[in-house]
Amino acid sequence: MALATSQIDFAAIEARERASTKKKWPSVVVAAFVSLIWVVPFYYMLVSIFKTHAEYTANNPLSLPEGFSPIADNAISAWNTAKMGAGFANSAMYGIVGAGLAVFFAAMAAYGLTRISFKRQNFWFMLIFAGTIFPFQIYLIPLFFAYQKIGIINTHFGMLLFYTAVCIPFPVLVLRNYLNGLSREMDEAARMDGASEFRVFWSIILPNCIGPMTATFLLQFTWIWNDLLFSTVLGNREEVRSIMNSLQIFHGSYTTAGPNLTLTAALIASLPAIVLFLLLRRHFMEGMRVTGV
Amino acid sequence: MATVGLKDIVKVYGRHIAVRGVDLEIQDKSFTVFVGPSGCGKSTMLRMIAGLEIISHGEMRLDGKIVNDTPPRERGVAMVFQSYALYPHKTVRQNLEFSLKLEKLPPDQIASRVNKAVNLLEIEPYLDRKPAQLSGGQRQRVAMGRAIVREPKVFLFDEPLSNLDAKLRNQMRIEIKKLQRRLQVTTIYVTHDQVEAMTLADVIVVMRDGVIEQSGTPMQIFESPANQFIAGFIGTPQMNFFAGSVSMSRGVATFVGEGFKLPISKSRFGTGFEEGQNLTAGFRPEDIVPQERSKSAKLSADFLSAIGFTEMLGNETLLFSSYAGTEFVSRMAQPRFVAQDEIMKFKFNVEKMHLFDGDTGMSIRAA
Ligand SMILES: Nc1ncnc2c1ncn2[C@@H]1O[C@H](COP(=O)(O)OP(=O)(O)O)[C@@H](O)[C@H]1O
Ligand SMILES: [Mg+2]
Repeated sequence: MALATSQIDFAAIEARERASTKKKWPSVVVAAFVSLIWVVPFYYMLVSIFKTHAEYTANNPLSLPEGFSPIADNAISAWNTAKMGAGFANSAMYGIVGAGLAVFFAAMAAYGLTRISFKRQNFWFMLIFAGTIFPFQIYLIPLFFAYQKIGIINTHFGMLLFYTAVCIPFPVLVLRNYLNGLSREMDEAARMDGASEFRVFWSIILPNCIGPMTATFLLQFTWIWNDLLFSTVLGNREEVRSIMNSLQIFHGSYTTAGPNLTLTAALIASLPAIVLFLLLRRHFMEGMRVTGV
Repeated sequence: MATVGLKDIVKVYGRHIAVRGVDLEIQDKSFTVFVGPSGCGKSTMLRMIAGLEIISHGEMRLDGKIVNDTPPRERGVAMVFQSYALYPHKTVRQNLEFSLKLEKLPPDQIASRVNKAVNLLEIEPYLDRKPAQLSGGQRQRVAMGRAIVREPKVFLFDEPLSNLDAKLRNQMRIEIKKLQRRLQVTTIYVTHDQVEAMTLADVIVVMRDGVIEQSGTPMQIFESPANQFIAGFIGTPQMNFFAGSVSMSRGVATFVGEGFKLPISKSRFGTGFEEGQNLTAGFRPEDIVPQERSKSAKLSADFLSAIGFTEMLGNETLLFSSYAGTEFVSRMAQPRFVAQDEIMKFKFNVEKMHLFDGDTGMSIRAA
């Protein structure tokens, strides 16, 4: 027997269903309270970047700004004080080239680990995989002395070498799993079609790995971009200084810049990673889905 | 075009022997089908011929030339995979062009070869689609097209129809046969489906446990299977087997089953029988003939049996029953309604009886 739709009391159903959600208000309160932990600093940043130094010191730090105009001055002054232009250029180079190379090498390693049979395959994989297990900080001191000894400390090359190397293991893990799921018959077909080993990798495997490669590239780029520790220790000279490192000028004991400048600089510094994510969002999500990262 | 010679081919994976000594001569322009149960080494054979697996031992010749160490691309063989293995990121056209571009053929030649294959397979409408946008049957055609454009000496197919539904499978089977006739290319085809083997092959090669059990034309295999395994494997429903033994009287051998006796023809089975020897008699479903009740006075029945259940296929009915503890299937060529538990009379068509050694399973035939 079909129910005539005119007989349905939509209001009653809605009220009944709403009643069951109402009882959850204690958890909503807790959730709202917890979310303040994230919202307040964000709000603090948002109001501070629109204040002059004088305005910032005169009023309560959480008060609303008097206008929007000071942001232009803040931005220019932050940019110049921290020499952010050079930092941007350096970090962009480290991020794009370092993460790019790392993902490319990782793809080659993953191809080898899944498609070419050689001795102790698992041993080599575990060796690379070990790179994702230990905290990176343990490399810091040995690297510093080694870099000093061979003379690549405070060089673009040294920085790039470190970033590339340290960013390889995680993409290897992801791409190896992904390649294991890709049809082997596909590369056998290519081999029969006359493709060399490199051809199979370049023309058949790589184009089918765009998703996970983009996803891991973004993750590694962001890590390099946000790295402060290694760039401080291995590349503290002005010409090789990364963007995050250059922000430290606001932090020193002789600094005269107020929190309004510091926060403006921090916001500017984090923009590229956000923009990149938005641009590659589609690939990123796809990559996440297939890799289950 | 091409002949393929296989001599004492062996393939081992670590300690596991997948193929244990295969000898076979494949004629030019012939359609050879490797058939056998899953895991018997058919794919391994094909992949060795393709050059995708190293041949552990033995010699493979293409047109008389040893090619054991020739890489796949230089062998001039093309393969259609079970999963089709199309390149997902390339359009249908790019899939077809890939091998020709690697060969560095001039563009006009690439275009003409692709067009030829496209017309042959009628895949023109999908040329600019990606494989994901094609149905199973369309992908299958593209996979064949990719093999055809290379104008190979030998076509290899590994269970190409197993991912299609029954109707499409029948249709594609016929198309593959037509295509092979038309292109006149030596073809090696692997399947576990004996119907495909029977319908496609010029030569059927039956494999089991890494060895060839028998090779021959479909009719040879069907009518004179070399052993009980092949007799049971080829033909649906499969051959019925009845255990029994030999009884000799005045030099004439008789097959004695449980509750029935059948004469053993000297001209068909020879004279090498001994009293008490174990035998297995084989009858195909059409050779256990149900007898009409009305005519029972005239036709002598060999035995009576109650029908367990029936499969009515319209043009014929399969009767499932058991006799003396042995289950059997009978094919009723002129179907009528048969009730379950109905007692029917059956007669063996002795002319078509197969005999196998009860211990070794080998076929018994007059020398
Ligand atoms: N790469 C491999 N490594 C180890 N054993 C394999 C490999 N490929 C196939 N085999 C084994 O070889 C035997 C034959 O396999 P295959 O040729 O694929 O059988 P099928 O007749 O079903 O195509 C099977 O027992 C299978 O487990
Ligand atoms: Mg197989």
